[in-house]
Amino acid sequence: MTAGVIDFLQLTVAGLSAGSAYGLVAVGFVTIHSVTGIINLAQGEFAMVAAFVAIALLAAGLPLPIAGLLAVLVVALGAAVVERVAIAPAAGSSVVAYIMLTLGVSITLKASVLLIEGPQSKALPAFTGGILSFGGVLVRPQDLWILAATLVAALGLYAFLERTVTGKAFRACAEQPTAARLVGVSPARMSTLSFVLAGTVGAVAGVVSSPVIQTDWNIGLFLGLKGFVAASLGGLASIPAAIAGGLLLGVVESLGAFYVSSGLRDAIAFFVLIVVLVARPGGVFGRTQAAARV
Amino acid sequence: MNDAAETADALAEDSSGGGMRMTTGGAAQRRRLLRDSAGLAVLIAGVVAFPLLASPQLVFVAVFAGVFALAALGLSLLLGLAGQISLGQAGFLAIGAYTSAILTTRYEQNALLASVVAVAVTMVAAAAVGTPILRLRGHYLALATLGFGIIVAVVANQWDFTGGQSGIFGIRKVEFNGRLYDSPREQFWLVWSVVVGALILARNLASGRVGRALGAVNDSEVAAETLGVDTFRLRVQVFVLSAGLAAIAGSCYAHLVGVVNAQAASFLLSVELLLMAVVGGLASVWGAIVGAIFVRGLSEALTTYIPRVIPGASGEYQLIGFGIVLVLAVIYLPGGFVSAGARLARLPGARRRPRTTVPDGGGEGPTAAGDEAAGDTSPLLPREGRPAPGTAVLVVRGLELHFGGVRAVQSVDLEVRTGEIVGLIGPNGAGKTTLFNVVSGVLPPTAGTVEVGGARVEGRRPHAVAAARAARTFQNLEIFSSMTVVGNVAVGRHLRSRAGVVAGALALPARAEEHAIDAEARRLVELLGLGDVADSPAADLPFGRQRLVEIARALATEPDLLLLDEPMAGLSAFERAALARLLRRLRAGGMAILLVEHDIEAVMALADRVAVLDDGHRIAYGAPSEVSDDPAVIEAYLGADAEQTTLGGPA
Repeated sequence: MTAGVIDFLQLTVAGLSAGSAYGLVAVGFVTIHSVTGIINLAQGEFAMVAAFVAIALLAAGLPLPIAGLLAVLVVALGAAVVERVAIAPAAGSSVVAYIMLTLGVSITLKASVLLIEGPQSKALPAFTGGILSFGGVLVRPQDLWILAATLVAALGLYAFLERTVTGKAFRACAEQPTAARLVGVSPARMSTLSFVLAGTVGAVAGVVSSPVIQTDWNIGLFLGLKGFVAASLGGLASIPAAIAGGLLLGVVESLGAFYVSSGLRDAIAFFVLIVVLVARPGGVFGRTQAAARV
Repeated sequence: MNDAAETADALAEDSSGGGMRMTTGGAAQRRRLLRDSAGLAVLIAGVVAFPLLASPQLVFVAVFAGVFALAALGLSLLLGLAGQISLGQAGFLAIGAYTSAILTTRYEQNALLASVVAVAVTMVAAAAVGTPILRLRGHYLALATLGFGIIVAVVANQWDFTGGQSGIFGIRKVEFNGRLYDSPREQFWLVWSVVVGALILARNLASGRVGRALGAVNDSEVAAETLGVDTFRLRVQVFVLSAGLAAIAGSCYAHLVGVVNAQAASFLLSVELLLMAVVGGLASVWGAIVGAIFVRGLSEALTTYIPRVIPGASGEYQLIGFGIVLVLAVIYLPGGFVSAGARLARLPGARRRPRTTVPDGGGEGPTAAGDEAAGDTSPLLPREGRPAPGTAVLVVRGLELHFGGVRAVQSVDLEVRTGEIVGLIGPNGAGKTTLFNVVSGVLPPTAGTVEVGGARVEGRRPHAVAAARAARTFQNLEIFSSMTVVGNVAVGRHLRSRAGVVAGALALPARAEEHAIDAEARRLVELLGLGDVADSPAADLPFGRQRLVEIARALATEPDLLLLDEPMAGLSAFERAALARLLRRLRAGGMAILLVEHDIEAVMALADRVAVLDDGHRIAYGAPSEVSDDPAVIEAYLGADAEQTTLGGPA
């Protein structure tokens, strides 16, 4: 393989790895939005907080796998608390009011971390060391961990939604809220559940990607927004589309940073967002507006 | 309800209370203006006296409160008036600051000229950004604006022209005739006179034609559009104006601090500005000022006290206060401080919709005939320049509208001429309202042509159809619920008045026009027999009378073609008769009227010709007597067995 091809593949792998994290965050957006109609701007903070919790637990002497799992659990419960304390009391508010509410939650979470942890970035150690080579293309083992974790989390969520009664009630609530209520599904409980699920996938993203991206108090903004871009690429409605959107965004960003300008890396995602939103409000993988109207 | 309307409801809880957002005409408006003028007098006195009384440190804090108040005021107009959110206001502040900085440091321009150019450059940028992204709504718009802010910050950080990460240093202070104005006191007076000026302009804008139109858009976008309000254009204009205010703030900031870097575009600053607007209250332009003072004060307090509690704290930890206050404000103080203050002080108008003031039950109906002889057929509302009687003002040819596989309207032809009433009837689901929606521009047709007043309008937006002099009412009422009856009708005068954003902000040129609008609106309100409720909230009227408000509103646009969707529904027999007389007199005045109505008797009595729709097809068209005998029509109304039923039935 020529150096150009190797570069390209290398960048694609890095992009898929970063994109998996975006995809998981995007799944969180879709989960909450499908049931409550809310765009949770604190979604990225779930990932950020989980990474810091895991780092703290590791520092406290727990083994890495336990620290990681505990961090996911803590954030999943924390997300439920957020929903009960800040979101539920404003039930029935407008789209814009919810944007402000979740923005307020996001700012509160990140400022709390800033107060506790300070402004410097931290990282979990890579889950396994070394470096793998596939025909000259070098792959960090952590990239594979991230891809695997994304797969496991997405399949786990899928199994939960398809195979359990609670999962089916959840889907019913997303598709036909009135009918779901008539058969005894509580929208309030499903709203809390949506935050728990979103917190869980967000936390997984935060923990597995921490060794690669260096977590700091402000990273939730970028993770969250890129997750939203990914979710929008998928039309904000489907979990597989959100993950595909995340992977696509990760690759575009990685290639763009290399071939266009690395300094503009963070601007690429938002440029994609604005172009996509304006050109195809239904998302790249989503339905077009005309089809959605039927 | 659309997003904007929800915003208005949730955030500007009492839009008529505590401020200058909406005009409702008449005495209430004058009271509000008086209160605002009193408020302004207090503010100006405070601006003059504050620096003489306060300590220099406090004055210095207040200078920056003023700077950010300008940007927050822009955001408040965008949110409160246009119902659009922006999480990228700091992006525009930064464009203004950088432009000013580059002009003074590289091109040796003085601060004043640099500021003017900076505002112009920012407004051009806002028009370029706003035109595509304002097509988005709700959270998509929020995130697109957020993305814009981040792009500005990233570019400012990376671009050599903007000084990269170190930014731009050594920006010149404000200077006249070689004298430098840089004591806190002078800076305060400088900045706050700009704030007072901007507040007055914003107040004028909010209480005039543009503010009224945007208030209408927040209540019902489709109704505002069909009355000729170009909602998209107005939104872009307010967005550009809002960016202009941010640019003034940015320019002030650059010349005060002397340094600009990418922090000026930071997301956190956008959040701070949003917090100012929301905490202060979006219902009034005062909110941004109150909010800016509060948030800057909070920020100062937090940066002073947090390190005492948590010694190692560093960075922008004051954000924790912003986050908590934002959550609390949205949940517990949806109208902001200004609304809360107005409620506490029990100012007139502080409570929304004073229901007790609305007379109950039906009125006398349209007075066009109510007070006069029942047989009065004298022409009503003729218009100079209206096409001669018998000219077709609505020509529909081969109209098709498909929703996927559903063919709601199929190859429909229709003509309505000046001086005639055409009835459009058909069973439920026949496509009557859909046809209305296509003709009025609410839905684009799949195929076919629609001509209004000789101009092809198919696929154009409703405001363009309204400009071609077609006006409509809605079957499922689309009343502007935050406005009075007169206020509703005044929106109908939008196309017949001119004051735009600039003239509206300057107020004086628009003042005479406002009086004319109010007078004309009141005349139409009287005509429809709504005089007794002219200054009552339109939302408190019974449905039947709300329909009359919609008719008055439509007539206010001075249409040649009036499209009425079930105007008789919900009216008493007496009101129906009065409305029928009104329609006859309008016809005598040369109006072309297309009438959808379920009351077949009323249609047959009124209409010159009747078109019958069934399942999207026009199955009959002709004089009422012909149509009522048409077998196809009988079948459509009574079902396939009609003949057997009438022939062989027990009756």
